[in-house]
Amino acid sequence: MEGTFREQLFFLVLCLSFLKGDTRYIEENDITPEGLFALLNSELKREIPETLIYRRPLRCLDMVAVEGQFTFTADRPQLSCASFFIAEPDQVISVEYDSVDIDCRGGDFIKVFDGWVMKGEKFPSSQDHALPLMERYVDYCDSGTVRRTVRSSQNVAMLFFRIHTAGSSFTLTVRKPINPFPCNIISQTPEGSFTMVIPQQHRNCSFSIIYPVEIKIAELSLGHLNDFPIKRSIPGCAGAGDFVELLGGNGMDPSKMFPVADLCYKFNGPAQMKIGCDNTVVRMVSSGRFVNRVAFQYRLLDRQELQRIKVNSVEDFCFTG
Amino acid sequence: MKPVPLVLLLATVLLTSHIPPSVSRPQDLAMFNGHGYKSQLDEVFQKAGDAVSYLIGENILRYLQRNPRLQTGFPPQFPFEVTPLGSRGLGHLARSLPPFEQQRAPEEVNSLEDFVKLTKRNDDPPISIDLTFHLLRNMIEMARIESQKEQAELNRKYLDEVGK
Repeated sequence: MEGTFREQLFFLVLCLSFLKGDTRYIEENDITPEGLFALLNSELKREIPETLIYRRPLRCLDMVAVEGQFTFTADRPQLSCASFFIAEPDQVISVEYDSVDIDCRGGDFIKVFDGWVMKGEKFPSSQDHALPLMERYVDYCDSGTVRRTVRSSQNVAMLFFRIHTAGSSFTLTVRKPINPFPCNIISQTPEGSFTMVIPQQHRNCSFSIIYPVEIKIAELSLGHLNDFPIKRSIPGCAGAGDFVELLGGNGMDPSKMFPVADLCYKFNGPAQMKIGCDNTVVRMVSSGRFVNRVAFQYRLLDRQELQRIKVNSVEDFCFTG
Repeated sequence: MKPVPLVLLLATVLLTSHIPPSVSRPQDLAMFNGHGYKSQLDEVFQKAGDAVSYLIGENILRYLQRNPRLQTGFPPQFPFEVTPLGSRGLGHLARSLPPFEQQRAPEEVNSLEDFVKLTKRNDDPPISIDLTFHLLRNMIEMARIESQKEQAELNRKYLDEVGK
């Protein structure tokens, strides 16, 4: 009896000291640079020592696939610059302004775009992205002092900037935090494999491969298929709430691409399709009622195969001009 | 008092009172009074921010001093070493980029200015860039090479650290 009373008393004292904040004396007492960083950033990140951070100058037209610190210094007026950021499928891009020395009132700007935009077409399309178009552009001059870190919703992001005066510069830190349920992805390679999972969310996700590829769908699991057999009276999957479609096109925007095939029925064994377009997209539409999953592989089409497709295809939607 | 209700009470008290970890750092106990908390925290962040930017500046200087090759005027497009693996792709890009830069620059300015004005269709993005997929693919490949080189460097440094 006395023993349990003592235990309870010690437990109570421990809890009280925790509440008072005296547990700081249990931690190490020196402030390390990593400790400073942890103070500044509330989110957990890998603690990389200063000497191991990758640094290089940023170019007016650039592609960045690596974490690190990038500085752009204008040696002459640069009026139209863009930098692309790309990460692994299960990562997002986080851009942090370290130091910015530009003349906002003089017409300079730095904008981070949540996605990629090329020739007026954006990825992900408006239908696949949660934010309206205007909110996907974050301008430093409007909000830089408030929003020092901008994070993308998928594995790609872009930076547009314009600097009028020579000598102006800015420095960014790019990180690639993990995204546990990747939705919209642009593949870095023409060959690979991926499994897309939409866990009971009402959203549409696109996997974009900017190469002409052959897609092999190894596994398709749309919730309703497992429950009862589907008898489709309407050809195509338009009425189904959950389906996968294969799109092909010559632009970035999946909503402007042509549907090559759509899958909402059960099939045995892998399904293959050769798509000879500059951009191939596997898009999954999910109603939110089921956990949907599609696993596929893709490989680059060689010149012979491309020629054969060109010759044999009835519709030449990818070979205009 | 019965042990189970006591434990439950303590668990409830612990869960509902959330102490942010930054508070557990060695700081003045006076931070716990309500109105003084935010301003003192801002002060701490300000000092930390100055310290951090000083640290970063110092390290950039040291990094540049250690790598004198970065200080020479290398061509702005190609900061990477030309390896046999990448020289073909880089050479091709070297031939295609400078004319691209010169020709595209006036066109780019016009297209950017056109795009900056709001277009009639609401769906068109205000700022865009005109690139071919071919150039985009080459840029991605170069960026991947850079990323792999950097990862190899990091691995080498980590292994050196472990070996000591």
